Amino acid sequence: MRVLVVEDEKKTASFVRKALHAEGFAVDTCADGNDALAVAQTTPFDVIVLDIMLPGRDGLSVLRQLRQNRNATPILLLSARGEVNERVEGLNAGADDYLPKPFELAELVARVRALGRRGGESKSPVLRVADLTLDTITHRAQRGSAEIELTAREYRLLEFLMRSPGRLCGRMMIVEKVWNYDFDPGTNLVDVYIRRLREKIDAGFEPKLLHTVRGSGYVLKETA
Amino acid sequence: MTIRTRLTLWYAGILTASLIIIGLGTYRELDEQMRHEHRRAPVEHAVSETAEMVFQVGAPAIVLGLLGGRWLTRKALSPVSKLADAITKVHESNLREPLPRSGNRDELDRLTEVFNGMLARLDDSFQRVREFTLHASHELKTPLTVLCGEIETTLRDESLSVAERERAASLLDELRRLTRIVDGLTLLAKADAGQVTLNLEPLHFDELVREIHADTQILAEPQHIRVELTACEALSVHGDRHRLRQLLLNLADNAVKYNQSQGTVIMALRRVGDTAEFTIVNTGAGIAPEALPRVFDRFFRGDPAHSQGVDGCGLGLSIVKWIATAHGGTVQISSAPAKPTTVTVCLPLAV
Repeated sequence: MRVLVVEDEKKTASFVRKALHAEGFAVDTCADGNDALAVAQTTPFDVIVLDIMLPGRDGLSVLRQLRQNRNATPILLLSARGEVNERVEGLNAGADDYLPKPFELAELVARVRALGRRGGESKSPVLRVADLTLDTITHRAQRGSAEIELTAREYRLLEFLMRSPGRLCGRMMIVEKVWNYDFDPGTNLVDVYIRRLREKIDAGFEPKLLHTVRGSGYVLKETA
Repeated sequence: MTIRTRLTLWYAGILTASLIIIGLGTYRELDEQMRHEHRRAPVEHAVSETAEMVFQVGAPAIVLGLLGGRWLTRKALSPVSKLADAITKVHESNLREPLPRSGNRDELDRLTEVFNGMLARLDDSFQRVREFTLHASHELKTPLTVLCGEIETTLRDESLSVAERERAASLLDELRRLTRIVDGLTLLAKADAGQVTLNLEPLHFDELVREIHADTQILAEPQHIRVELTACEALSVHGDRHRLRQLLLNLADNAVKYNQSQGTVIMALRRVGDTAEFTIVNTGAGIAPEALPRVFDRFFRGDPAHSQGVDGCGLGLSIVKWIATAHGGTVQISSAPAKPTTVTVCLPLAV
Protein backbone atom coordinates (compact mmCIF):
# COMPACT_ATOMS: atom_id res chain seq x y z
CA MET A 1 0.00 0.00 0.00
CA ARG A 2 1.31 3.44 -0.89
CA VAL A 3 0.84 6.43 1.40
CA LEU A 4 1.57 10.12 0.82
CA VAL A 5 2.41 12.06 3.98
CA VAL A 6 2.04 15.83 3.58
CA GLU A 7 3.57 17.53 6.64
CA ASP A 8 5.94 20.50 6.81
CA GLU A 9 7.16 19.84 10.34
CA LYS A 10 10.25 17.73 9.62
CA LYS A 11 10.39 15.71 12.83
CA THR A 12 6.70 14.85 12.70
CA ALA A 13 7.00 13.85 9.04
CA SER A 14 10.01 11.72 9.90
CA PHE A 15 8.46 9.61 12.65
CA VAL A 16 5.18 9.26 10.80
CA ARG A 17 7.11 8.00 7.80
CA LYS A 18 9.12 5.59 9.98
CA ALA A 19 6.03 4.24 11.70
CA LEU A 20 4.09 3.69 8.49
CA HIS A 21 7.16 2.17 6.88
CA ALA A 22 7.48 -0.26 9.80
CA GLU A 23 3.90 -1.37 9.08
CA GLY A 24 4.94 -2.27 5.57
CA PHE A 25 3.57 0.77 3.73
CA ALA A 26 5.47 2.50 0.94
CA VAL A 27 5.68 6.12 2.11
CA ASP A 28 6.28 9.33 0.13
CA THR A 29 6.60 12.63 1.98
CA CYS A 30 5.97 16.17 0.91
CA ALA A 31 6.30 19.45 2.83
CA ASP A 32 4.45 21.95 0.65
CA GLY A 33 0.78 22.23 -0.31
CA ASN A 34 1.36 22.94 -3.98
CA ASP A 35 3.86 20.10 -4.34
CA ALA A 36 1.44 17.79 -2.59
CA LEU A 37 -1.33 18.66 -5.02
CA ALA A 38 0.96 18.05 -8.00
CA VAL A 39 2.22 14.71 -6.66
CA ALA A 40 -1.26 13.51 -5.64
CA GLN A 41 -2.65 14.24 -9.08
CA THR A 42 0.03 12.32 -10.94
CA THR A 43 0.68 9.36 -8.63
CA PRO A 44 -1.98 6.97 -7.39
CA PHE A 45 -1.91 6.63 -3.59
CA ASP A 46 -3.97 4.36 -1.38
CA VAL A 47 -4.13 6.94 1.42
CA ILE A 48 -3.03 10.57 1.85
CA VAL A 49 -2.15 11.92 5.31
CA LEU A 50 -2.62 15.68 5.00
CA ASP A 51 -1.69 18.36 7.52
CA ILE A 52 -3.89 21.47 7.43
CA MET A 53 -1.23 24.08 8.15
CA LEU A 54 1.14 23.97 5.18
CA PRO A 55 3.32 26.41 3.30
CA GLY A 56 2.27 27.15 -0.26
CA ARG A 57 -1.34 26.02 -0.06
CA ASP A 58 -3.15 24.89 3.08
CA GLY A 59 -4.38 21.34 3.52
CA LEU A 60 -8.08 22.16 3.23
CA SER A 61 -7.46 23.83 -0.11
CA VAL A 62 -5.43 20.83 -1.35
CA LEU A 63 -8.29 18.59 -0.23
CA ARG A 64 -10.96 20.67 -2.00
CA GLN A 65 -8.92 20.84 -5.20
CA LEU A 66 -8.35 17.08 -5.23
CA ARG A 67 -12.05 16.39 -4.70
CA GLN A 68 -12.95 18.91 -7.39
CA ASN A 69 -10.68 17.00 -9.76
CA ARG A 70 -12.61 13.84 -8.89
CA ASN A 71 -9.69 12.35 -7.02
CA ALA A 72 -11.27 10.04 -4.44
CA THR A 73 -8.12 8.89 -2.60
CA PRO A 74 -8.99 8.43 1.11
CA ILE A 75 -7.60 11.39 3.04
CA LEU A 76 -6.74 11.61 6.74
CA LEU A 77 -6.54 15.25 7.84
CA LEU A 78 -4.14 16.28 10.60
CA SER A 79 -4.59 19.50 12.47
CA ALA A 80 -2.91 21.33 15.33
CA ARG A 81 -5.95 23.48 15.84
CA GLY A 82 -8.02 20.43 16.73
CA GLU A 83 -11.40 22.03 17.17
CA VAL A 84 -14.75 20.46 16.47
CA ASN A 85 -15.66 23.07 13.88
CA GLU A 86 -12.52 22.36 11.95
CA ARG A 87 -13.25 18.68 12.03
CA VAL A 88 -16.72 19.31 10.59
CA GLU A 89 -15.26 21.66 7.99
CA GLY A 90 -12.65 19.07 6.98
CA LEU A 91 -15.13 16.23 6.72
CA ASN A 92 -17.51 18.44 4.73
CA ALA A 93 -14.70 19.32 2.34
CA GLY A 94 -14.36 15.61 1.60
CA ALA A 95 -11.84 14.28 4.12
CA ASP A 96 -12.41 10.67 5.18
CA ASP A 97 -11.01 10.98 8.67
CA TYR A 98 -9.61 13.62 10.96
CA LEU A 99 -6.95 13.42 13.66
CA PRO A 100 -6.14 16.38 15.93
CA LYS A 101 -2.53 16.99 17.00
CA PRO A 102 -0.96 15.87 19.16
CA PHE A 103 -1.98 12.40 18.06
CA GLU A 104 -0.73 8.99 19.04
CA LEU A 105 1.31 7.23 16.46
CA ALA A 106 -0.56 3.98 16.94
CA GLU A 107 -3.74 5.94 16.34
CA LEU A 108 -2.48 7.38 13.09
CA VAL A 109 -1.23 4.01 11.83
CA ALA A 110 -4.54 2.33 12.69
CA ARG A 111 -6.52 5.02 10.90
CA VAL A 112 -4.34 4.92 7.80
CA ARG A 113 -4.74 1.16 7.72
CA ALA A 114 -8.49 1.41 8.13
CA LEU A 115 -8.74 3.94 5.30
CA GLY A 116 -6.56 1.83 2.99
CA ARG A 117 -8.61 -1.25 3.66
CA ARG A 118 -11.95 0.40 3.20
CA GLY A 119 -14.19 -1.49 0.89
CA GLY A 120 -12.03 -4.59 1.25
CA GLU A 121 -13.52 -5.41 4.65
CA SER A 122 -14.86 -8.83 5.39
CA LYS A 123 -18.49 -9.01 4.33
CA SER A 124 -19.26 -12.15 6.29
CA PRO A 125 -21.77 -11.52 9.04
CA VAL A 126 -19.85 -13.84 11.37
CA LEU A 127 -16.49 -12.53 12.63
CA ARG A 128 -13.96 -15.06 13.85
CA VAL A 129 -10.67 -14.86 15.77
CA ALA A 130 -9.34 -18.28 16.85
CA ASP A 131 -12.35 -19.99 18.48
CA LEU A 132 -14.06 -16.71 19.31
CA THR A 133 -16.99 -15.92 17.02
CA LEU A 134 -19.28 -12.94 16.84
CA ASP A 135 -22.47 -12.95 14.79
CA THR A 136 -23.10 -9.36 13.70
CA ILE A 137 -26.72 -10.10 12.86
CA THR A 138 -27.90 -11.86 16.00
CA HIS A 139 -25.23 -10.17 18.20
CA ARG A 140 -24.32 -13.58 19.63
CA ALA A 141 -20.79 -14.11 20.87
CA GLN A 142 -19.26 -17.52 21.52
CA ARG A 143 -15.91 -18.71 22.73
CA GLY A 144 -15.66 -22.35 21.64
CA SER A 145 -19.07 -23.68 22.52
CA ALA A 146 -19.59 -21.32 25.47
CA GLU A 147 -22.09 -18.53 25.01
CA ILE A 148 -20.84 -15.07 26.10
CA GLU A 149 -23.28 -12.46 27.41
CA LEU A 150 -22.39 -8.94 26.29
CA THR A 151 -23.88 -5.53 27.02
CA ALA A 152 -24.56 -3.28 24.02
CA ARG A 153 -21.35 -1.32 24.56
CA GLU A 154 -19.24 -4.45 25.07
CA TYR A 155 -20.69 -5.87 21.89
CA ARG A 156 -19.73 -2.76 19.92
CA LEU A 157 -16.23 -2.82 21.40
CA LEU A 158 -15.74 -6.47 20.57
CA GLU A 159 -17.09 -6.01 17.06
CA PHE A 160 -14.73 -3.11 16.50
CA LEU A 161 -11.72 -5.13 17.69
CA MET A 162 -12.74 -8.21 15.71
CA ARG A 163 -13.00 -6.21 12.53
CA SER A 164 -9.25 -5.49 12.75
CA PRO A 165 -7.85 -8.78 14.07
CA GLY A 166 -4.12 -8.77 14.73
CA ARG A 167 -4.04 -4.96 14.39
CA LEU A 168 -3.29 -2.41 17.05
CA CYS A 169 -6.31 -0.24 17.93
CA GLY A 170 -5.57 3.11 19.58
CA ARG A 171 -7.61 4.38 22.53
CA MET A 172 -8.86 7.51 20.78
CA MET A 173 -10.02 5.49 17.80
CA ILE A 174 -11.95 3.15 20.11
CA VAL A 175 -13.49 6.10 21.97
CA GLU A 176 -14.52 7.62 18.66
CA LYS A 177 -15.91 4.52 16.96
CA VAL A 178 -17.38 2.67 19.94
CA TRP A 179 -18.53 5.57 22.10
CA ASN A 180 -19.05 8.09 19.38
CA TYR A 181 -17.18 10.76 21.40
CA ASP A 182 -15.25 13.43 19.55
CA PHE A 183 -13.22 14.33 22.64
CA ASP A 184 -10.69 12.52 24.80
CA PRO A 185 -12.82 11.55 27.81
CA GLY A 186 -9.72 11.71 30.00
CA THR A 187 -10.99 8.74 32.00
CA ASN A 188 -9.91 5.14 32.06
CA LEU A 189 -13.27 4.19 30.52
CA VAL A 190 -11.73 2.22 27.67
CA ASP A 191 -9.29 0.38 29.94
CA VAL A 192 -12.09 -0.61 32.30
CA TYR A 193 -14.28 -1.88 29.44
CA ILE A 194 -11.35 -3.80 27.98
CA ARG A 195 -10.75 -5.40 31.36
CA ARG A 196 -14.40 -6.49 31.56
CA LEU A 197 -14.38 -7.77 28.04
CA ARG A 198 -11.18 -9.69 28.76
CA GLU A 199 -12.85 -11.36 31.75
CA LYS A 200 -15.68 -12.48 29.50
CA ILE A 201 -13.78 -13.71 26.46
CA ASP A 202 -10.43 -14.75 27.92
CA ALA A 203 -10.92 -15.86 31.53
CA GLY A 204 -10.77 -19.64 31.64
CA PHE A 205 -9.88 -19.95 27.95
CA GLU A 206 -6.60 -20.51 26.14
CA PRO A 207 -5.01 -18.90 24.23
CA LYS A 208 -5.60 -15.38 25.53
CA LEU A 209 -6.84 -13.19 22.69
CA LEU A 210 -7.16 -9.62 23.96
CA HIS A 211 -3.78 -7.97 24.57
CA THR A 212 -2.77 -4.56 25.85
CA VAL A 213 0.16 -2.89 24.11
CA ARG A 214 1.60 -0.66 26.83
CA GLY A 215 1.44 2.96 25.79
CA SER A 216 -0.26 2.30 22.47
CA GLY A 217 -3.58 0.50 22.59
CA TYR A 218 -5.15 -2.91 22.29
CA VAL A 219 -4.99 -5.78 19.89
CA LEU A 220 -7.11 -8.88 19.42
CA LYS A 221 -5.01 -11.76 18.17
CA GLU A 222 -4.25 -15.42 18.71
CA THR A 223 -0.59 -15.23 19.73
CA ALA A 224 0.91 -12.83 22.24
CA MET B 1 -23.80 73.07 26.80
CA THR B 2 -22.10 72.26 30.10
CA ILE B 3 -24.13 71.19 33.12
CA ARG B 4 -23.13 74.41 34.95
CA THR B 5 -24.56 76.62 32.23
CA ARG B 6 -27.65 74.50 31.96
CA LEU B 7 -28.28 74.50 35.71
CA THR B 8 -27.71 78.25 35.84
CA LEU B 9 -30.13 78.91 33.00
CA TRP B 10 -32.80 76.62 34.43
CA TYR B 11 -32.52 78.15 37.88
CA ALA B 12 -32.60 81.64 36.43
CA GLY B 13 -35.83 80.61 34.66
CA ILE B 14 -37.37 79.35 37.91
CA LEU B 15 -36.39 82.52 39.79
CA THR B 16 -37.82 84.72 37.05
CA ALA B 17 -41.08 82.75 37.16
CA SER B 18 -41.26 83.18 40.97
CA LEU B 19 -40.50 86.91 40.69
CA ILE B 20 -43.18 87.37 38.06
CA ILE B 21 -45.73 85.60 40.29
CA ILE B 22 -44.73 87.69 43.33
CA GLY B 23 -44.69 90.87 41.23
CA LEU B 24 -48.09 90.22 39.66
CA GLY B 25 -49.65 89.31 43.01
CA THR B 26 -48.20 92.35 44.73
CA TYR B 27 -49.28 94.65 41.93
CA ARG B 28 -52.85 93.36 42.01
CA GLU B 29 -53.11 93.66 45.82
CA LEU B 30 -51.62 97.16 45.84
CA ASP B 31 -53.92 98.23 43.03
CA GLU B 32 -56.98 97.03 44.98
CA GLN B 33 -55.74 98.67 48.15
CA MET B 34 -55.28 102.01 46.37
CA ARG B 35 -58.84 101.92 45.09
CA HIS B 36 -60.15 101.07 48.62
CA GLU B 37 -58.11 103.88 50.17
CA HIS B 38 -60.08 106.42 48.15
CA ARG B 39 -63.16 105.62 50.23
CA ARG B 40 -61.75 104.87 53.71
CA ALA B 41 -58.34 103.95 55.13
CA PRO B 42 -58.37 102.09 58.48
CA VAL B 43 -54.67 101.76 59.40
CA GLU B 44 -55.06 98.67 61.63
CA HIS B 45 -56.39 96.74 58.59
CA ALA B 46 -53.38 97.54 56.51
CA VAL B 47 -51.00 95.36 58.65
CA SER B 48 -53.17 92.23 58.47
CA GLU B 49 -53.77 92.83 54.78
CA THR B 50 -50.05 93.01 54.12
CA ALA B 51 -49.53 89.71 56.00
CA GLU B 52 -52.33 88.14 53.98
CA MET B 53 -50.83 89.49 50.79
CA VAL B 54 -47.42 88.06 51.59
CA PHE B 55 -49.03 84.70 52.38
CA GLN B 56 -51.16 84.65 49.25
CA VAL B 57 -48.35 85.58 46.93
CA GLY B 58 -45.30 84.21 48.77
CA ALA B 59 -46.62 80.68 49.44
CA PRO B 60 -47.08 79.75 45.77
CA ALA B 61 -43.70 81.26 45.03
CA ILE B 62 -42.03 79.15 47.76
CA VAL B 63 -43.81 75.99 46.60
CA LEU B 64 -42.78 76.74 43.03
CA GLY B 65 -39.22 77.31 44.16
CA LEU B 66 -39.14 74.00 46.09
CA LEU B 67 -40.71 71.96 43.29
CA GLY B 68 -38.49 73.68 40.75
CA GLY B 69 -35.37 72.92 42.74
CA ARG B 70 -36.41 69.30 43.13
CA TRP B 71 -37.14 68.99 39.43
CA LEU B 72 -33.89 70.69 38.66
CA THR B 73 -31.69 68.33 40.68
CA ARG B 74 -33.52 65.29 39.39
CA LYS B 75 -33.16 66.41 35.80
CA ALA B 76 -29.52 67.30 36.31
CA LEU B 77 -28.70 63.97 37.97
CA SER B 78 -30.75 61.62 35.78
CA PRO B 79 -27.90 61.12 33.25
CA VAL B 80 -25.66 60.14 36.20
CA SER B 81 -27.98 57.39 37.35
CA LYS B 82 -28.46 56.25 33.75
CA LEU B 83 -24.69 56.05 33.42
CA ALA B 84 -24.43 54.16 36.71
CA ASP B 85 -27.04 51.64 35.49
CA ALA B 86 -25.10 51.13 32.28
CA ILE B 87 -21.81 50.67 34.15
CA THR B 88 -23.38 48.08 36.48
CA LYS B 89 -24.07 45.93 33.41
CA VAL B 90 -20.43 45.99 32.26
CA HIS B 91 -18.98 42.48 32.36
CA GLU B 92 -15.89 40.69 31.08
CA SER B 93 -17.89 39.43 28.13
CA ASN B 94 -19.45 42.70 26.93
CA LEU B 95 -16.52 45.08 27.28
CA ARG B 96 -16.73 45.77 23.59
CA GLU B 97 -20.17 47.39 23.85
CA PRO B 98 -19.72 51.13 24.55
CA LEU B 99 -21.87 52.89 27.18
CA PRO B 100 -24.64 54.95 25.53
CA ARG B 101 -23.85 58.68 25.25
CA SER B 102 -26.50 61.32 25.85
CA GLY B 103 -25.23 63.52 23.03
CA ASN B 104 -25.52 66.70 25.17
CA ARG B 105 -21.78 67.33 24.91
CA ASP B 106 -21.65 68.06 28.63
CA GLU B 107 -19.34 66.90 31.42
CA LEU B 108 -21.24 63.62 31.76
CA ASP B 109 -20.93 62.97 28.07
CA ARG B 110 -17.22 63.45 28.44
CA LEU B 111 -17.21 61.12 31.45
CA THR B 112 -19.01 58.47 29.38
CA GLU B 113 -16.42 58.93 26.68
CA VAL B 114 -13.59 58.48 29.18
CA PHE B 115 -15.30 55.33 30.52
CA ASN B 116 -15.67 53.98 27.00
CA GLY B 117 -11.99 54.60 26.41
CA MET B 118 -11.15 52.71 29.58
CA LEU B 119 -13.44 49.81 28.61
CA ALA B 120 -11.79 49.60 25.21
CA ARG B 121 -8.37 49.43 26.84
CA LEU B 122 -9.60 46.76 29.26
CA ASP B 123 -11.10 44.81 26.39
CA ASP B 124 -7.76 45.04 24.62
CA SER B 125 -5.94 43.61 27.62
CA PHE B 126 -8.48 40.80 28.03
CA GLN B 127 -8.21 40.09 24.33
CA ARG B 128 -4.44 39.86 24.60
CA VAL B 129 -4.67 37.42 27.53
CA ARG B 130 -7.17 35.30 25.59
CA GLU B 131 -5.04 35.32 22.47
CA PHE B 132 -2.01 34.45 24.53
CA THR B 133 -3.72 31.32 25.92
CA LEU B 134 -4.98 30.37 22.49
CA HIS B 135 -1.58 30.82 20.83
CA ALA B 136 0.25 29.15 23.69
CA SER B 137 -1.97 26.09 23.46
CA HIS B 138 -1.50 25.93 19.69
CA GLU B 139 2.25 26.36 19.94
CA LEU B 140 2.45 23.51 22.45
CA LYS B 141 0.80 21.06 20.09
CA THR B 142 3.62 20.62 17.59
CA PRO B 143 6.35 19.82 20.14
CA LEU B 144 3.88 17.56 21.97
CA THR B 145 3.18 15.69 18.73
CA VAL B 146 6.90 15.25 18.15
CA LEU B 147 7.53 14.08 21.72
CA CYS B 148 4.66 11.57 21.68
CA GLY B 149 5.71 10.32 18.26
CA GLU B 150 9.37 9.87 19.20
CA ILE B 151 8.52 8.01 22.40
CA GLU B 152 6.04 5.77 20.60
CA THR B 153 8.68 5.05 17.98
CA THR B 154 11.11 4.16 20.78
CA LEU B 155 8.49 1.83 22.29
CA ARG B 156 8.35 -0.10 19.04
CA ASP B 157 12.00 -0.97 19.39
CA GLU B 158 12.09 -4.71 20.19
CA SER B 159 15.51 -4.48 21.85
CA LEU B 160 14.29 -2.32 24.77
CA SER B 161 14.66 -3.84 28.23
CA VAL B 162 11.56 -4.17 30.39
CA ALA B 163 12.70 -1.28 32.61
CA GLU B 164 13.39 1.00 29.62
CA ARG B 165 10.04 0.14 28.13
CA GLU B 166 8.26 0.89 31.38
CA ARG B 167 10.05 4.24 31.66
CA ALA B 168 9.16 5.24 28.13
CA ALA B 169 5.55 4.16 28.61
CA SER B 170 5.21 6.18 31.81
CA LEU B 171 6.65 9.22 30.03
CA LEU B 172 4.02 8.70 27.37
CA ASP B 173 1.29 8.61 30.04
CA GLU B 174 2.46 11.98 31.37
CA LEU B 175 2.57 13.41 27.87
CA ARG B 176 -1.01 12.30 27.33
CA ARG B 177 -2.03 14.09 30.51
CA LEU B 178 -0.30 17.21 29.24
CA THR B 179 -2.07 16.75 25.93
CA ARG B 180 -5.44 16.67 27.69
CA ILE B 181 -4.58 19.86 29.57
CA VAL B 182 -3.59 21.58 26.34
CA ASP B 183 -6.78 20.32 24.66
CA GLY B 184 -8.89 21.67 27.52
CA LEU B 185 -7.09 25.01 27.43
CA THR B 186 -7.58 25.31 23.70
CA LEU B 187 -11.27 24.57 24.03
CA LEU B 188 -11.75 27.17 26.80
CA ALA B 189 -9.59 29.80 25.08
CA LYS B 190 -11.59 29.32 21.89
CA ALA B 191 -14.83 29.51 23.81
CA ASP B 192 -13.67 32.77 25.45
CA ALA B 193 -12.87 34.20 22.05
CA GLY B 194 -16.32 33.13 20.81
CA GLN B 195 -14.78 30.82 18.24
CA VAL B 196 -16.62 27.66 19.17
CA THR B 197 -19.98 27.06 17.56
CA LEU B 198 -22.28 24.45 19.02
CA ASN B 199 -24.01 22.04 16.68
CA LEU B 200 -27.43 22.44 18.22
CA GLU B 201 -30.13 19.88 17.53
CA PRO B 202 -33.18 18.68 19.42
CA LEU B 203 -32.10 15.65 21.40
CA HIS B 204 -33.34 13.30 24.10
CA PHE B 205 -31.34 14.32 27.13
CA ASP B 206 -32.58 11.28 29.06
CA GLU B 207 -30.88 8.97 26.53
CA LEU B 208 -27.54 10.69 27.10
CA VAL B 209 -28.04 10.40 30.86
CA ARG B 210 -28.81 6.67 30.60
CA GLU B 211 -25.70 6.10 28.48
CA ILE B 212 -23.49 7.95 30.96
CA HIS B 213 -25.12 6.07 33.84
CA ALA B 214 -24.18 2.75 32.22
CA ASP B 215 -20.60 3.92 31.58
CA THR B 216 -20.24 5.30 35.10
CA GLN B 217 -21.33 1.97 36.61
CA ILE B 218 -18.45 0.33 34.77
CA LEU B 219 -16.02 3.13 35.67
CA ALA B 220 -16.93 2.89 39.34
CA GLU B 221 -16.68 -0.90 39.58
CA PRO B 222 -12.98 -1.11 40.57
CA GLN B 223 -13.61 1.06 43.69
CA HIS B 224 -16.89 -0.77 44.46
CA ILE B 225 -18.87 2.44 44.17
CA ARG B 226 -22.61 2.04 43.65
CA VAL B 227 -24.05 4.20 40.85
CA GLU B 228 -27.81 4.80 40.93
CA LEU B 229 -30.13 6.53 38.54
CA THR B 230 -33.13 7.38 40.69
CA ALA B 231 -35.15 9.34 38.10
CA CYS B 232 -34.83 9.78 34.37
CA GLU B 233 -37.80 11.61 32.86
CA ALA B 234 -38.05 11.74 29.07
CA LEU B 235 -36.90 15.30 28.36
CA SER B 236 -35.83 16.99 25.14
CA VAL B 237 -33.31 19.81 25.04
CA HIS B 238 -31.84 21.81 22.21
CA GLY B 239 -28.17 20.95 22.46
CA ASP B 240 -24.86 19.79 21.07
CA ARG B 241 -24.70 16.03 21.55
CA HIS B 242 -20.91 15.81 21.94
CA ARG B 243 -20.61 18.74 24.32
CA LEU B 244 -23.48 17.52 26.53
CA ARG B 245 -21.90 14.06 26.69
CA GLN B 246 -18.65 15.73 27.67
CA LEU B 247 -20.48 17.66 30.41
CA LEU B 248 -22.12 14.52 31.81
CA LEU B 249 -18.97 12.44 31.58
CA ASN B 250 -16.85 15.10 33.31
CA LEU B 251 -19.35 15.26 36.17
CA ALA B 252 -19.64 11.48 36.41
CA ASP B 253 -15.88 11.06 36.30
CA ASN B 254 -15.45 13.58 39.13
CA ALA B 255 -18.17 11.89 41.17
CA VAL B 256 -16.23 8.63 40.95
CA LYS B 257 -12.71 10.06 41.29
CA TYR B 258 -13.46 12.14 44.38
CA ASN B 259 -15.57 9.43 45.99
CA GLN B 260 -14.49 6.99 48.63
CA SER B 261 -14.21 3.26 48.17
CA GLN B 262 -17.68 1.63 48.47
CA GLY B 263 -19.31 5.04 48.22
CA THR B 264 -22.38 5.97 46.21
CA VAL B 265 -23.12 8.13 43.19
CA ILE B 266 -26.76 9.13 42.65
CA MET B 267 -27.91 10.65 39.39
CA ALA B 268 -31.36 12.02 38.57
CA LEU B 269 -32.95 13.82 35.66
CA ARG B 270 -36.19 15.66 36.37
CA ARG B 271 -38.31 18.33 34.85
CA VAL B 272 -38.40 21.48 36.98
CA GLY B 273 -40.58 24.19 35.45
CA ASP B 274 -39.19 24.92 31.99
CA THR B 275 -35.85 23.27 32.64
CA ALA B 276 -34.32 19.83 32.60
CA GLU B 277 -32.56 19.44 35.94
CA PHE B 278 -29.75 16.92 36.15
CA THR B 279 -28.33 16.25 39.62
CA ILE B 280 -25.39 14.09 40.54
CA VAL B 281 -24.53 13.39 44.17
CA ASN B 282 -21.36 11.75 45.42
CA THR B 283 -20.38 10.58 48.89
CA GLY B 284 -16.82 11.88 48.77
CA ALA B 285 -14.98 13.86 51.43
CA GLY B 286 -16.96 17.01 50.66
CA ILE B 287 -15.65 20.47 49.84
CA ALA B 288 -14.67 23.18 52.34
CA PRO B 289 -16.94 26.28 52.22
CA GLU B 290 -14.03 28.56 51.27
CA ALA B 291 -13.14 26.33 48.32
CA LEU B 292 -16.71 25.91 47.07
CA PRO B 293 -17.09 29.15 45.11
CA ARG B 294 -13.83 28.49 43.32
CA VAL B 295 -14.35 24.93 42.09
CA PHE B 296 -15.38 26.12 38.62
CA ASP B 297 -12.18 28.18 38.27
CA ARG B 298 -9.59 26.93 35.85
CA PHE B 299 -6.92 24.75 37.41
CA PHE B 300 -8.45 25.16 40.86
CA ARG B 301 -7.82 22.14 43.07
CA GLY B 302 -9.61 21.99 46.39
CA ASP B 303 -8.03 20.44 49.44
CA PRO B 304 -4.78 18.93 48.14
CA ALA B 305 -5.11 16.07 50.63
CA HIS B 306 -8.31 14.96 48.94
CA SER B 307 -7.16 15.32 45.38
CA GLN B 308 -3.86 13.57 45.90
CA GLY B 309 -3.36 10.78 43.45
CA VAL B 310 -6.43 11.88 41.52
CA ASP B 311 -5.57 12.07 37.88
CA GLY B 312 -7.23 15.00 36.23
CA CYS B 313 -6.44 18.05 34.17
CA GLY B 314 -7.96 20.65 36.53
CA LEU B 315 -10.22 21.97 33.80
CA GLY B 316 -13.11 19.50 33.99
CA LEU B 317 -15.55 21.69 35.94
CA SER B 318 -14.57 24.84 33.99
CA ILE B 319 -15.50 22.98 30.82
CA VAL B 320 -18.75 21.81 32.42
CA LYS B 321 -19.60 25.39 33.33
CA TRP B 322 -18.83 26.66 29.86
CA ILE B 323 -20.94 23.93 28.21
CA ALA B 324 -23.91 24.58 30.53
CA THR B 325 -23.72 28.35 30.01
CA ALA B 326 -23.31 28.01 26.25
CA HIS B 327 -26.57 26.04 26.24
CA GLY B 328 -28.34 28.82 28.12
CA GLY B 329 -28.26 26.76 31.30
CA THR B 330 -26.72 26.91 34.75
CA VAL B 331 -24.59 24.73 36.97
CA GLN B 332 -24.46 24.82 40.76
CA ILE B 333 -22.58 22.90 43.39
CA SER B 334 -23.40 22.38 47.04
CA SER B 335 -21.23 20.59 49.53
CA ALA B 336 -19.66 20.71 52.98
CA PRO B 337 -16.81 18.79 54.59
CA ALA B 338 -17.81 15.18 55.30
CA LYS B 339 -21.16 15.80 53.55
CA PRO B 340 -22.27 14.59 50.12
CA THR B 341 -21.49 16.86 47.17
CA THR B 342 -24.32 17.69 44.76
CA VAL B 343 -23.86 19.21 41.34
CA THR B 344 -27.01 20.49 39.64
CA VAL B 345 -27.17 21.32 35.94
CA CYS B 346 -30.27 23.05 34.56
CA LEU B 347 -30.82 23.26 30.82
CA PRO B 348 -33.76 24.93 29.10
CA LEU B 349 -36.20 22.39 27.64
CA ALA B 350 -36.70 22.32 23.88
CA VAL B 351 -40.01 23.89 22.90
